[in-house]
This record gives sequence, structure tokens and C-alpha cells, in this order.
Amino acid sequence: MTKDDGEMVEEQKKKPCRFWIWALSSVLFRLILISYAGNLNLSSRPEVSTPLTSIRRLAEGYWLKQASMSPYAGSMYHGSPLLLSLLGPLTVQRIKGQPSHLFCSLVFVIADILSAILLRGIGKKLQMAYGLNARLLGLLKSPRDKAGILPCGDIAALVYLWNPFTIVCCVGLSTSPIENLAVILALNGAVTRRVPLAAFGLVMATHLSLYPAILTIPVIFLLGYGLDAPPLKLFLQTRNVESGNRSSTSSASKQAKSKPTAQLPFLWKTVVHFVFWALVWSLCVMVLCRLSLSKHGGLEEMFKRTYGFILSIEDLSPNIGVFWYFFAEVFDFFRNFFLIVFHVNILFMLLPLAIRLKHRPCFLAFIYLAISSLLKSYPSVGDSALYLSLWALFVNELADMKFSFFLFCGYLGVSLLSPVMHNLWIWRGTGNANFYFGNAIGYACFQIVFVVESVSAMLNHDRALKKCNPNHQKVKN
Amino acid sequence: IFFGKRKKMKNLTLVVMLLCYSFASSSGDSTIHTNNWAVLVCTSRFWFNYRHMANTLSLYRTVKRLGIPDERIILMLADDMACNSRNQYPAQVDYRGYEVTVENFLRVLTGRHENAVPRSKRLLSDEGSHILLYMTGHGGDEFLKFQDAEELQSHDLADAELLIMVDTCQAATLFNQLQSPGVLAIGSSLKGENSYSHHLDSDIGVSVVDRFTYYTLAFFERLNIYDNASLNRSYDPRQLMSTAYYRTDLYQPHLSEVPVTNFFGSVMETIHTDSAYHAFSSRISNSKIKSDTPFNQPFNQLSEQDVKEDLQNTNNQNDELKTEKQKCPYSEMRADLHEKLKKIENVDTMVNLSIAVMILVVMVSSSLL
Repeated sequence: MTKDDGEMVEEQKKKPCRFWIWALSSVLFRLILISYAGNLNLSSRPEVSTPLTSIRRLAEGYWLKQASMSPYAGSMYHGSPLLLSLLGPLTVQRIKGQPSHLFCSLVFVIADILSAILLRGIGKKLQMAYGLNARLLGLLKSPRDKAGILPCGDIAALVYLWNPFTIVCCVGLSTSPIENLAVILALNGAVTRRVPLAAFGLVMATHLSLYPAILTIPVIFLLGYGLDAPPLKLFLQTRNVESGNRSSTSSASKQAKSKPTAQLPFLWKTVVHFVFWALVWSLCVMVLCRLSLSKHGGLEEMFKRTYGFILSIEDLSPNIGVFWYFFAEVFDFFRNFFLIVFHVNILFMLLPLAIRLKHRPCFLAFIYLAISSLLKSYPSVGDSALYLSLWALFVNELADMKFSFFLFCGYLGVSLLSPVMHNLWIWRGTGNANFYFGNAIGYACFQIVFVVESVSAMLNHDRALKKCNPNHQKVKN
Repeated sequence: IFFGKRKKMKNLTLVVMLLCYSFASSSGDSTIHTNNWAVLVCTSRFWFNYRHMANTLSLYRTVKRLGIPDERIILMLADDMACNSRNQYPAQVDYRGYEVTVENFLRVLTGRHENAVPRSKRLLSDEGSHILLYMTGHGGDEFLKFQDAEELQSHDLADAELLIMVDTCQAATLFNQLQSPGVLAIGSSLKGENSYSHHLDSDIGVSVVDRFTYYTLAFFERLNIYDNASLNRSYDPRQLMSTAYYRTDLYQPHLSEVPVTNFFGSVMETIHTDSAYHAFSSRISNSKIKSDTPFNQPFNQLSEQDVKEDLQNTNNQNDELKTEKQKCPYSEMRADLHEKLKKIENVDTMVNLSIAVMILVVMVSSSLL
């Protein structure tokens, strides 16, 4: 037994080294791609750069601002003015002989590294919680069981760093690494219970792209109820069975048996603290935006051009989503109606999922992100990169997910065919929009199957835990 | 003018001659005319569009003869008959072949080039320039076709300070969207009319010039460099086989007062002065300097000294605020804040600093709390 323990300790020490080796090699890979692959032309691909995330539009917005015009003039730039003042000066600095926008690429690489480190932090906490819950439920009997728990933090971080979608977004100069960093920051703050950090991450993520606003619900659940855990009923059952084994006639056990439904305590104080910090950060962001845009129309202009642009889907250039094709054909009379339908499509799923998955807020956050990146107005592969790495945080629970190979092949096929269809349509003229749109529909279908299967795998995991419990106790008896 | 590339193909032919005048009205605070520029564009390629190339090259010859030097002419030809080795008088073609695109044309007009573009390819005009912009090719209702693959639409030209003389079919429609003052437009045909070619050369086998251009050039051939003829000439509709159309409502001086050599030649007033060279225009206002400073400053961050000065300024204003706060609490503070906002020159550095401060506060508070 002691030998096994010693071996495991050594293995655990080796793992961090292996993680850092893989992480640094992914950074090196990105740097190589940035310096040598000038012909990849990734920043002009619609899958990578959307009207919201394109660096060329940011550079254009910055030029307009330097020429004393509003950066939103002419419907080129639709992002945050703060991002403009941070990244704008970097887009114009050039070094002889180096590829253009080199400093921006370095910023995105740094954003990716930070996201990976934060994901690792989230994963460590989740793994600890998983181990603790399993021990409380009486499922961990031998050290080998404990070693069987996969290091989900390392896995998620490495999935994020080595995901081809993330690499393509980083090298292709889209601003989605920064948006992903803000979301991961919010989740990390909520998981490690650093309330100002969580509030800051959520406010920045909402400010940069509108959709992370729906993450308020999982973040509040994380701060109020705590980390992901099996449903409370399982713990109560375990306690009842154990106390029943000891003494079946004592009054205490009868009292315990007569209280089958108990609620988890909700920590209102932390949530109020969070709301306070969220308001503080929102105020700061609004003041800074007002300052930056004081000569060019102020906050109204900003809201109209950023959130208004996202919600009204003005730009119908093709992307990997499904809305551009539809809105190119819809009659003007029905346009507002369909806009409302498509946006409510995301909103109406929030409540049922929140009710069903409130004991697993981190998983709820992952599902919300997957749904929003499927149904948002201008999706790109950067959003998929985010939710795929969050999926990897749950490898312990989702080990039995069905169709995993089918989905993997589906994602691979769609991402390879998408540039081909685009080329056939736009450059060669031998295809038409239906080719590309068919590919986008296929991608949406695979994403839907992925989301549905993940949720059902998680619920099956909870049901299996419930079945495991009384059986386990019966065996012990 | 913002970049808009369109890739539709249409079969109407427009001959657009664009004359661009970029000088202000002759009353009050007008700038002194100092130089002339010419941008001559031919947007069609292939042999059967020989006449468009010939239009542009004959105007090039006219403009050179009347005095504009090569450095101030930008010649964009979609096909290279001028640089053919059999040509005895090779032209200095600045944009040739596939470089003649809507994007490059708009870059020339707006002056937004990549850093690597040589000076000979840039339109380095200033306030005292008169620019002649001549374009020929195929076109239709409110557009001009570029090289069979793109088009330039009338609202792309709308913000330009150009006088447009268009010699294409339905030429008058291309300046439907013009709104800026100081623009005079002359088109060779109205909406629904075609502009016609002049004559066919039996050796070459294709038409060699268009009617509108032919009569215009015939007029110029009779001029020399010191003539005073004005632009107010009438085109005979029977000879043109279409109705020439003048759009003069945006242009202040009367057409008969404007001498043709203001645009086509290089004659200017010389003023003898003994003093050292100063900026010639009287229109450099203070507001323009202020708005130019963020642009003219190097794109690196400001030096530390400027940042410290900004901070000191804001500190001084804070002290003033504190003493006045006692009088009228809310409205006075708001007014002072507004004034402070207007006084702050470099907003960008302050925004960047504030973002950095915000991130510091996040890190500190999350490690403490």
C-alpha cells in the first residue's frame, strides 16, 4: 500500500511538469504560425472573423477615431471603445520584416495563456469538489478509485490551448480570445469565491459581447449554492441509511427520516456583495466609455452601434451561423417578428435549465454558453473553442457520453468543409450560397446533438449515483 | 468615401467623364489656386474597348500639353496599350492592368494608402489644388463598371469634392447622389440615353474614340496654354446624339466665369514677395490644428511628462472643484465636470490609464477579499 502511495505522489508531481511542457509547446506553435504562415489568410475567413470580432474593423475604427470622427461611423466597427483604445494603437505599430499586427497577435497569445491558467484553477476546484462529494457519498473505497478521478483542470486547459479552433482564432487575429478570457475570468472568480473578480469578469464579458449576460444566473448559483455537486437528496439518503444502520429505534434517526426534503442554504450575503461589485464595475465601464466617446455621440451611440447591431442583425455577410441566410430572404414586414423569435429562442431555454440543473451551476454555465454560441447573431469558431474547453472540465461526469465519436467526426468534417464550400461559392462561382449554408446547418445540428447529449449524460450520471447509493449500502449490510 | 466593393456584372455601357473641381467658391475666404492635379482612369480592358483607352490617353496628352507635369498626373489604365513596345511615346502609367480596382481608385481619392505605396501613386493634392478627374468605361444607371468585376456607384462618389464629367451611357445618373458644395457635374447623356462612339477605324477594326470626348478634345486642340476660354460651352445634341447635362446647383461661380485652364492647364498667378515662405492658405483654423494633434503625434504612447502634466491639470481642477462645492452642490459640480471633460486633450491615455487602474483594483481586491 505504501509503495502505491509513493508512486502516486511521484506521478502527481510529474503531472504539473507535463502540463507546462504541453502549454509552452502550444504557445511556441502559435508563435511559429504567426511568424511564418502569412499566406493562411485566416483573418479574412468568415468562420474566424465576424463583424464583431474582426481586427481589420478595429483598425478601421481606430483610424476613424484618430481622424476625429466617431469610431462607429460607416458601420465598420461594432465593438467596445475600451478595446479600441487598448488594441487600436497596437494595430498601427509595425516592425520591418515582421508580419502586420504582430503586437495584437502577441496580446491574443497572452490572453490564451491566461485563459488556460484560469481554466486550470477552475478545474482544480471542481476536481476537489468531485472527490469530496464522492467520499461523502461513500463511493471512494480504495486509493485506486481516488487516482481514477481525472485531472479535469489540466485536461480542460490543454484542450483550450490545443483546440484547432482556438489556435485559428488566435493566429487569425479575431478578438474572441479576449472575450473568452473575460468569461473564464468570471467563472474562475465565482468558483474560487473571489467576488470582485467574478463581477469584473461578468461585466467585461457582457460589455464586449452581449450574450454572456445570461451567465449571471450560473454565477449567482455558484456564489449562493457553491460548486457542482450531486443532488442534495443523495446526501440525505446516505445520512439516513448510515444513521439507520447504527440505531434503528433512536428518536434522532426517526427525526432524520422524517425530514426528507431539505433545502441547501443560499448565501444571500455573498450574492448581494456580488451585485454591489457588479454595479461598481458597470459604473466604471460606463464612465470610461462616456469619456472616450464624449465628442462622438456618447453612450447612446455606443449602445445603438454595439448592442443594437448585435440584436438587429444588420450585417448579413455569411458566417458559420444560420441567421444570415434567413434574414436575407425575410420580408421587411416580418423582420422584427423573426428577430424577436430568434432572440427569445435563447431566453426561453434559460429558466427550465436553471431549474433542472441548479445543483450543478458550472455545468449550467457551460450549457448556456453552448446554446448562446449556437444561436447568437454572429457566431464564430472562437465561441465553440470556449464551450469545448468548458466541456472538458466535466470529463469525470461525462465519461459515458453517447455519440462522442460521431460528434467528433462531425465537427472535424464541418470545419474542413466550410472553407471549401466558401471557396466554391465566392471564389470559383461553381457553388452557391446553399452549399455554404448547408454546411452551417450541419454545424448547428452537430452542436445541438452535442448539447443535448451532454445534458442527458450528466443527468444519467446523477441517476447512476442515486442507484449506486442504496445498492452500495445493501452490499455493505 | 467608405470602401464598398461590389461584384455585380451589368451590360449597360456608361462613359463617365469626371471632372473634379476641388476649389472653393470665389467669394470670401477661398484658397489660392496653386497647382493642378489630374487623375485619369480607364476602367475597361480588352481590345474591343480600345476607344476607352484612347479617350484616356488623348486626354492625358491634352493635359500634358497644357502644362500639368507627369508628377501631378495619376494615370490608371486597365489595359496596357500605352506601354506597348511599339508605342513611340510611352506614357507614365501609374496603375496598370489589374491594379485598376474600385479599392485603389477610392484609395487615391481619399488618400488612404498602405505605407509602402510610392509617392507617384498618391494624389498629394492640398487645399489649393484643382483636380481633374476623368473616368471612362462602361456604366449604367448610377454606377460605373470597373474591369468586368466590380462597380463604383454614385453614392461612393457622393462625398467627394469633385466635378464630374461623365462620358458614359446614362451619365447624368452617376451624380444623382452628389451633395457636397464645390462640385460641378457635366454628363454626356441623360438617364435612358446612350453615349455613342465617334468613328470606326478600319485598320484597327474597333471604334477609337467616343463622341463626347471627341468634341471636348476638339475644343481643347484649338486652345493653347494662355487661352481664357471658359467651361461654358454647349454641346450640340445632334452631333453628340445624346443630350449633355450640366449639374451646376452645387457650384457657386457661374460656369462662364471659370476658365478652362484652371483645371486642364498649369497656369497660376505668381505673387512676388520678399518675406520668407509661410503657409499660403488663410484657412488653417485653430480647431483643425487641435483635431489634427492626436493624429500627428507619434502612435507610441505619450511621454511620461505629458502624462504627469495631464494628472497635474486634473488635480488642479479637483482643488477648484472642492472650493466651489460649498456653494451649489450638484449642478455646479456637473458643469465643472463637463468643462473638465472638454479641457482634457488626450482622452485616450486617460482611458488607458483608468483601465490599468481598474485591473489593478480587481487584482488587489480579489486577493484581499
